Formats: sequence, C-alpha cells, structure tokens
Amino acid sequence: MHRDEIPPGTLYLLILKTLARSGEMHGYEIANSIQRISDDVLQVEEGSLYPALQRMLIKGWVTAKWGTTAGNRRARYYELTAAGRKQLALEMSQFERVIGAITRVIEAV
Amino acid sequence: MKWLRELTRRLSMVVHRRQFDADLEEEMRLHLELRKQERIESGVTAEDARAAARRRFGNPAVLREKSHTAWGWEWLEELVQDVNYGAWAMLRSPGITLVALLSLALGIGANTAIFSLMDTVMLKSLPVKDPARLVLFGNGLDQGISDGFPNPWLYSYHFYREMQKKNQVFSDVAAAFSMTDRAHGSVEGRNDAEPMNIQLVSGTYFPMLGVEAMIGRALTDEDDRTKGGHPVAVVSHAWWARSLARDPSVLGKKLTIGSTVFTIVGVAPPEFFGTRVGEAADIWIPLSMQKEIPPGWDGYSDNMFESLHLMARMKPGVSMAEANSNANLLFQQILRGFSGAPLTEENLRKLDKTRVELNSMATGFSRLRWEFSEPLKIMMTVVGLVLLIACANIANLLLARSTARARELAVRQALGARRSRLIRQLLTESLVLAFAGGALGIAFASGASHLLVRMVSDGRDALQLNVPIDMRLLLFTLGVTLATAALFGTIPAFRATRLNLTDSLKDGRSQPSASAKGPLAKTLVISQVALSLVLLVAAGLFVRSLMNLTNVDTGFNKENVIRLRVDASSAGYKEDVRLTGIYRQIEERASSLPGVRAASFSIFTFNEGTWNNGIWVQGYLSGHRETSVHHNAVGTGYFAAMGIPLLAGRTFGPQDTATSQQVAVIGETMARTLFPSGSPIGRHYGRGGPQNAGDIEVIGVVEDVKYNSLEEDPQPGDYLPYTQNVRYLNDFEVRHTGDSAVVVAAIRQAIHDVDRTLPISDVMTLHEQVARSTTNQRLVAQLSTFFGLLAVFLSCIGIYGLMSYVVTRRTNEIGIRMALGAERSQVLWLVMRESLWLVALGIAIGVPVALAGNRLVKSMLFGLQASDPVSLLAGVAVLLVVAGLAGYLPARRASLVDPMVSLRYE
Repeated sequence: MHRDEIPPGTLYLLILKTLARSGEMHGYEIANSIQRISDDVLQVEEGSLYPALQRMLIKGWVTAKWGTTAGNRRARYYELTAAGRKQLALEMSQFERVIGAITRVIEAV
Repeated sequence: MKWLRELTRRLSMVVHRRQFDADLEEEMRLHLELRKQERIESGVTAEDARAAARRRFGNPAVLREKSHTAWGWEWLEELVQDVNYGAWAMLRSPGITLVALLSLALGIGANTAIFSLMDTVMLKSLPVKDPARLVLFGNGLDQGISDGFPNPWLYSYHFYREMQKKNQVFSDVAAAFSMTDRAHGSVEGRNDAEPMNIQLVSGTYFPMLGVEAMIGRALTDEDDRTKGGHPVAVVSHAWWARSLARDPSVLGKKLTIGSTVFTIVGVAPPEFFGTRVGEAADIWIPLSMQKEIPPGWDGYSDNMFESLHLMARMKPGVSMAEANSNANLLFQQILRGFSGAPLTEENLRKLDKTRVELNSMATGFSRLRWEFSEPLKIMMTVVGLVLLIACANIANLLLARSTARARELAVRQALGARRSRLIRQLLTESLVLAFAGGALGIAFASGASHLLVRMVSDGRDALQLNVPIDMRLLLFTLGVTLATAALFGTIPAFRATRLNLTDSLKDGRSQPSASAKGPLAKTLVISQVALSLVLLVAAGLFVRSLMNLTNVDTGFNKENVIRLRVDASSAGYKEDVRLTGIYRQIEERASSLPGVRAASFSIFTFNEGTWNNGIWVQGYLSGHRETSVHHNAVGTGYFAAMGIPLLAGRTFGPQDTATSQQVAVIGETMARTLFPSGSPIGRHYGRGGPQNAGDIEVIGVVEDVKYNSLEEDPQPGDYLPYTQNVRYLNDFEVRHTGDSAVVVAAIRQAIHDVDRTLPISDVMTLHEQVARSTTNQRLVAQLSTFFGLLAVFLSCIGIYGLMSYVVTRRTNEIGIRMALGAERSQVLWLVMRESLWLVALGIAIGVPVALAGNRLVKSMLFGLQASDPVSLLAGVAVLLVVAGLAGYLPARRASLVDPMVSLRYE
C-alpha cells in the first residue's frame, strides 16, 4: 500500500487537532489516530512524533503525564493546554489560507 | 512572560535530565512494542514484526538526539564535556599542571596583593565628603614641634585661627596635631591603663571634612574655644568595637588620660580612620585640651609653637592656583603680624623666599606613602614581570600540548568533527587551566596582602591598614592570563585544524611541527630568560644593598640590649624631681638584677625622632653662629647600656646633680667641628642664644652614633644628664647577659616594684629596633629575591619543557645518528648546545635591559652602583648554572636513547 508523506510543517497541526478531538493520548495512539482518520493515506515516520512533542512541550502547547493504558502498561499521555488550543486555531487558519490559495491556483483556467 | 515560562521549562529539563532521558526511552520503547504486538496479531512472525515496527519508527538514536536538541542545551553539555576533558588532561600530567597552576597563582596573587596595598597606601580617596576639594598646607611629612621661622610645614594654633579668619578661598580650615600621641588611658570602671592613639584636632576638623558621627556627635568648633575647658572625646569605630565591645551606652562614658577625665561624646563612622594613611587614631580630642595631651606641651596660646598640620576645603569654583596665591599672601601677612615673631633682618629675608605649597589631600597624606611608594612601585614592576614569565610558561605548555595532539585532532576532523567544535574544545581546556590558576591566585592574594601589611608594619606600632583585595586589578590580571590561555591555546588549534589531514595522519608523531613549535616557543623561552636575568640582577642589588646597611657601624653595640617604653606621664607624673627620682630608683633596681650589666633611661635610642636645638660655643671664632645639634637626655648608665665607647674625659656620674655645674658628653663629630683646636674637655657652650654660651661644660667625648637611619652621615650630637634636663624619658635600655625573656620579666617586676601603675609597652631588643629602620629595604630585598628566584625557576621549567619536547620529537633522528656511530657525548652536546644557545641569547638581551632598568632603582641602593658588576655577574652565573641544569636533564635523556628502541619508536 502506498502512503504519502505528510506535507512539511503540518505535523504540529495534525497532532494538535488529534489531541483536540480525543483529549488525552499517548504517542502510539496519536500515530494510529492520524493514520486511521486519513484512511491510511497520511503516514508519519512514527518516531518523528517524539521530537515534535518535545518542542510542543517546550512551547507549552501540551502537557504530559504518566498514566496506564488499557493493556495495563505505563504510558505518557499528552493533553492540550489553553495555549495549545490557541495555537491550533492559528495553524488551522494558516493552513486553510494556504490550501485555499493553492486550490485557486490549480483550479484557475 | 511567555518566554519566562518557556525558560523555566527549559531549565527544569536541565535539572531533571536523567528523568527526561528515562521518560523518552520508555515512551519510545512502548511505541515500538505496541506496534510489534499489532503486527504479530495480524499474523507476522515476531522477527518480521519487530523489523517492520522499527522501519516505521525510524532511527531511535537520531530521534533521541533530535528530541534532546529541541531543548537547546547541547552547548552546555558539550561545555561540560570539554571542561571535564580539560580537567582530566590536566590531571594526566600533574607535574606540569602543578607548575603552571602555581606560577599562575603566584603571578595573579602577588600582583593583586601588591597592587591592593599600593592602592590603599597611595591611591585611595579619603572616606570623606568630596575629598577632591581638600588641600593640605605643605606635604605633611614633618612631624613634631618646631620654633623655626618661617615654617611652611608646621603651624601654630594662632596661625590656624588667623588663616581661618582672613582667607577668602576656603569654606573652612582645620588643623590636626602633626603626631598621633601614643598615651595610656583607662576607661571608666577599669583599673588597667591601655595604650591608645590620640589625635588632637581643631574643632573644625570633622565639620570641614564633612564627617558625621555614627553615634552621638562629632567635635565642633564649640569644643575648641577655651583652653583646657572641653574635656570631650570622639572615639573611632574600631576602638569602640575593640575596647568597648560596641557598648551601645558609650556616650557619656569617662576616659581618664593622665590626670584629665574626658567624656566620650561620639563614635566616628567605621570607614573613617583619620587623615593620615596608616596611622589610624583611636580617640580624637580638641586642640583646646593640648596642655593635657601630650603632657607638658602647651601651644594653644604660643604663636611660635609650630606643631600642627593645616588642611582646608576650597570653596566651590576656587581653583588650586587661586587658593595657593591667597594662602601665600596670608602666610606672609600673618607671620609678620605675630607678636613675638623673631623678625630679624635674616629671618625677614628668609620669609620673603618662603612659599607655602598647597597639596591635594584627596587621598589623605602619609609618611608611609613617602617611604613606601618607591618600593611598592618596584615590587609592582617585579611581580608584573613575573606574571609575564608565568604567562609565557602557560603559553609554552599549551603550545606543546596542542601540537602533540595534532594527530588526534586530524583524526577527529577526518571523522567529521566540525572545526569550530575542535577549536572550542581546545579553548575550553585552556580556560580551565587559566581559571583554576585564577582561583588559586585569589586565595593566594588575600593571604599575601595580610603578609605584606605585616611586613610593612614591621617598623612602627602595628600599622593600621585595611587592605581589601582590589577587584579591578584582580580582574585585570585574570584577564591577562585568560587572554594568554585563549591566545596560545587556540593558535595551535587553528594551525592543527588547518593541517593537511592526510599528511598529519600519515606522519604519526615524528615530523609534523618540529618547526611549527619552533620560533614562537623559542622566542618565549628567550624572553623568559632575559626577564629573569633582569629580576635576578635587581634582587642581587637589593640584597647587597641591605647587607651594606646591616654592616654599617651604628656607634653603639646593638646586641644584648632590651629596650622598652615606660609611660610616666600616663601614670600622672609631672616633669619634676619626683619623676627623675623614680627614674633613678628604677635604674638602680634594674642594674642590681642578676644578668643585668647596665640600665638607663633616655629620650631616644635609635630611629625614634630627634630633639634638635641651635647651640652657641663659647669662644668659637666665626662670630658665634648658631649650629644645630641632636640632643638626648640620658641617665648615668646610658653609655654602658648602649655600649658607646668613651674616647676622652668621663661620662656622667652621681656628682652631676640638678644643682651642680651643667655638663654634657659630646660626640666625635661635634667635638671635631665645634672644637677644632685642642681638647674639647672643659670647654663650654649653651642653648637658647649667645648669652648662654658659657652654660654647659663638656666633660667627655664619645664615638658618633646613628640617629634616625643607617644611611645618614655622621651628625653632631650631645648627651645631657636627665638630672639637669628634667623631662619625660620614654625609653629604658638594659644591657644584659643570658636569656632575655628572664631578664624582661625581672625588669617588669623591678619597674612595678617602684610604681605599680607605670604602663610598660613596646618591649623589644635594640637589635630589632635597628632592623626596623631598614624594613623598607628588607621588604624589597626579600620580595625581589623571592620573585627573582621564582622567575628563574619558571624560566627553567620553560627551558626544560621545550627541550624535553624537542628531544621527544627527535628521538627518531637521535636513534639514527647513534646507529650511524654518534657518541653519547656528541648527542648530549647536540641537545645541550641548543638550550645553551637559548640561554645565551636571553642573557645577551637581558644584560643591557638589566643595566638600563636597574638605574631606575638607584635611589633604593646603599653603598653600591646600579651597574654593580658583582650583582650582574652573580645573576648571570646563577642563571647559567640553573638553566644549564634544566637543559642538561633532557639532553642526558637523549644521550641514553637506545638506537634500536628509538628506531622502532613509530
């Protein structure tokens, strides 16, 4: 099955949106969620979630705390903060503007 | 505030690094395992499942690295690594490191300590209001009482009042007694009298300086209005803390000095020590009380009793030149207007030519400064040079180390290390060394400055100097060393990292920079040798100068004499027969003690000031002109106690009483100059005017003695029996045999048997007292010898280091030479020649520099020229021998090389 790389710069947006939709999640769940909802089209190099999550921790968009999974294993759960929600809104509007522009360009006769 | 919260998060990551790493690790592991689990459940083998999970995850090592760098601390981690590595590198060669650290510590420490002392003595402003506006009349060097006319250095009280009243340029004028009086006083409720330094000042002193009391009030002009009417005192903060243990109820306490009871009205602020640097006062008392302190000196109403230093604050906008001209105008007017001024034609002529010199008093004034400014400047130069030599050593050490690591650096570069990263690492390692040396230097500086104050104090009543470490210079010297380390640590780093990599890698360790290290390192060593020669020769000059001084014939025998101070005035004695009575009793009791050969009171022994008067000789040919001689009032046993040989006639005996013919014993020079023809015995002279020329009969001639310094030329002087010259005699001298400690105890007992209340202080041997007059020279001789030898030692380390390095580099070549038949002695000479060449070059440069430089210290030398050949040759010889040895050791190692081993060395 062919999978497309995600466009550069959209990883934060995907993570933010995923967390906004589902509340607390650990890394593996985030990766799976992105993949499933995109119908297996969007494929992140799963490991690269982690450096991105670190940067988001620094920025204060997310917080992390340790919890237990359904399979009774220790996992670090990430949750959106108020700053994270604000950032999500910002990235969304940026994304829509860019996509809109691209769409107009390629649909122009 | 957002950035602040972000910074806090970043910082907490540094603190919890381990936790952070563990969390990340666990998180990633969980991810991989969950993915693998999922695969297995979809029916893949465990092996394939793991591989697939990994493939999708990416490289965990890289991702870990990325997560880490996200936090932005990698520079810190690298720094920590580099510092660690630098510290380990230092520990790997402990010998070299120790030498480098010690030389840095001594260099930085000594510079800081000496500059701090120099700053305190010479440069620091007085802790008063706007010190730059203060001026001093004269230079403040003269201390004592004079009746000279005209006198632009010491002033009478009346002159002070006139100047204060009439001037137009000063906002206020103040006066202070030119000496600090060391008296004994007792605090209310205590029996024992304790020594204290008393400073008499005018009432305007504190207001003029703008110093306000910390507790109570300072003295005011109101305290200085009626003679004897204001027994009040302000005490220093230090004395309050020391003697009263900071008693908060200090105000109103009584202080008994002599027969006067003073009331303490204030405590001065902690930073205020007075106006004379190095002579901190304990108690300030108004000049109106000067009949009581110092006892018997009453100049409050005597126009010609000149004993004060005058100081003033210039009005705003008044320039130094304006102040000067007004002060001089008034100087002439006031002196001419004095009732009782000796306005003879000659004196008026002198007055016309005399000018008052106003000096800035911004930094206070001090004899100390006059005495020590020269030695301090010399020492500053010396330690500055030592620091340079130390830096050269550090430079050479770093050069050698990084050159030896050329290959390591090349390998790392080849493996992809960034050049900037390598340079940063070498730089960090150098700085570790420099900072470690600097830290040691700071520790050393604080110890050394105390030691220095002690060495300088060795000549007076414990010098009161507070010498804080001077931060500016500390930072400066530290900066110099850091710059050296940075420069010489990175030059080779740049060079090494620019190397043609393949060459460097191929060459291994034999070739690459035998020449690269060459010229720079050699120049450093040559300058080290030259500088140490300069320092050695200077040290030689100072040591020989001190030896000359120590060998000077003082005229008295300074061995086996104890001298101490008995303060009869503090015990309430007046200058009368009762006083001479107890002196006589004490002398008799002391003389009869076992182990005592003679004992006597006197005003002076040596280096305690002088009492000069003009004398008139009866029948002296050239018109009875006044000649000044040094007087001393002494007991009958004085000549025996001091061991001054009698040349003609007799010394004093019991027959010389208060009522008998006035007699004198005179020194050889006085006999020769004032009684040129025939024996002086039986001739007459007098004091106070030609009409008294017949008063005193000469009964004996003794050998000349030194009065104030060992350097002085023979001075005319006489001795008068104290029975006929009743005054306080503070010195008591005892010639003894056997253990001095036992004798001192016995003498104390004898004095207290006569009067239990007599305070005894300043017990020391005459030998010590003489030695104290050369403190200055000894300080310079000791320090310059120490630093001279240190410099030579450092240079030798430099030579040794360089030659060892060269030998190691050339082991291969030496092996080939030996295999081809070179003798061991030839190899030895081959290496020796190189180091001797360096030393010879250094000496060739050093000799003219030493000759030129040492001329600057001429004023500090006694009995020899700055071009003294002995010192020069000694310096060269010491340097040749020691440096030769430093070169010999590596040369010998080279000659012991086994050709077979060395050829296999690669």
